[in-house]
Amino acid sequence: MVGRHTVGVPRNDPTDTGGLFIGRRPGTAPVRYRTPPERGGAGRRFLDALLAAAVLLVEALVVLTAWGPQPVAWMWVGSQLDYATGSVFLGIVAAFFGLIGSLILTLMLATRLDHLWRLLRRAAGHDQREGVLGRIFVVTAIVAAAGFSVWFLLLEGPGSSLAPR
Amino acid sequence: MGFRDYYRQFEEMGPEEISAELLALRDERRRRALSRIDPLDLSGTEWHEPPHPDAVNAATFALRRALNTYPDRSAGALRAALAERHGLAQEQVAVGHGAGELLRSVCAALLAGGGDALVAWPGWQPLPGLVEAAGGRAVPFPSAPAELLAHAGPDTRVMLVTSPSDPTGATLSRRAVHDLCARVPDGVTVVVDEALGEFAADGDDAAPLVADVANLVVVRSFSKAHAMAGLRAGAALGPRELVERLAPAGGLSAPAQAAAAWAASQPGAEVAARRRAAASAAHERLAAALAGSPFSAAPGSVPFAWISSSEEDGPGIAARLAAAQVFVAPGRLWGDERHVRAALRGPEAVDRLAGALLGR
Repeated sequence: MVGRHTVGVPRNDPTDTGGLFIGRRPGTAPVRYRTPPERGGAGRRFLDALLAAAVLLVEALVVLTAWGPQPVAWMWVGSQLDYATGSVFLGIVAAFFGLIGSLILTLMLATRLDHLWRLLRRAAGHDQREGVLGRIFVVTAIVAAAGFSVWFLLLEGPGSSLAPR
Repeated sequence: MGFRDYYRQFEEMGPEEISAELLALRDERRRRALSRIDPLDLSGTEWHEPPHPDAVNAATFALRRALNTYPDRSAGALRAALAERHGLAQEQVAVGHGAGELLRSVCAALLAGGGDALVAWPGWQPLPGLVEAAGGRAVPFPSAPAELLAHAGPDTRVMLVTSPSDPTGATLSRRAVHDLCARVPDGVTVVVDEALGEFAADGDDAAPLVADVANLVVVRSFSKAHAMAGLRAGAALGPRELVERLAPAGGLSAPAQAAAAWAASQPGAEVAARRRAAASAAHERLAAALAGSPFSAAPGSVPFAWISSSEEDGPGIAARLAAAQVFVAPGRLWGDERHVRAALRGPEAVDRLAGALLGR
């Protein structure tokens, strides 16, 4: 197997090519498989495309929870501890470390989902070189920030003074 | 293929795996490179190094200066340089596309009406073919050129001698050529192929004789000692009424004229002398390596050796060398089953040649 997928790749070292950089730009290398994959038929590729879309949706929802539901949930847990023990410190510590832990677990889960999405996209016939987790984080952050702004500014926060009822 | 295996085949290799694979590939290449024995072609007679940089510069300058114009068809500067070098009149010098083409023209001019050409043999291998193509009859004689006189008949028009000889390296001295020209019957022209003339000992080239000997033509080349085989440049020195018929109609290309003119200068002659010394050193190196073995090579200063063995015939020697990826010219090209001709291309190649002969 050694060298099976690298034979015929042009040498891109400028010292080998008379000073000309003839190789591809960094970061644009094709996906290198251990063995050439054998894709299924058209039906299976269509099903894989649907599964990839579903996984992408789940991944986006999972990431979205990091921007709102999880912090809210851990603040609620902290408040309950404060109420039960009378210790504000304990409530803050529990909420802080609980949120950190759940965010790490969320990130691990999102990473696995992103990996699964890449495999499904490749199985569906796409040259999927990279995942989409980074972009999901950005998009969900924008969505969460917009939602939070609407809630905070217009519905519950200073909205009452900006727009008196 | 199972469900999980189907999707696992789409897993890409990690950077560490890719690096490991590339390293293994590099190691494999190195191993192959070390175990590979490159073939060594010693069958030619051209010089193994590139021309002197000044000759290349001269050709390049000519190439860039006026490639859109025709060259000097009379090659006046080059002919003047050659005439001065050999002590001749410029009209006694013609230049052409290599010694081979000029020899073809000489044969065509001298054998147009038929006749015999006595060819000292072994000599330059294509000579008999050139004679036949010109309409003459080639009569190779495996004897010393001086002995050709005894074979000259009423139909003899030309005596062709290669000096230094390809393949043996034997040189006919200037005095021997002079005597030969003086003793040949009237109407016979002596043609000396001196393509390897720069490798002859000082004073043994026949070119200066042309000034005084009317039945002598000397053909020189820039392909051997001047290492410009790719430019196809040569010169014919002889009687003016003959050489004026030898030049190619369109003349010699401007780069070839420029490089040849540099080669005809004193620096060019010094470069040729250094190469002759290097060829002599290569002969001595080969002789030292073969001392005490069944193999022997005639001493000389040409860039090749005429090798024989007391235990093997020529094809056996060639086969022995071929087994070691060393390829030589078989002696049967000259009708000789005892010898092979091997180029001496520098100390490393000589050592490998000797090693292949001795089975080391």
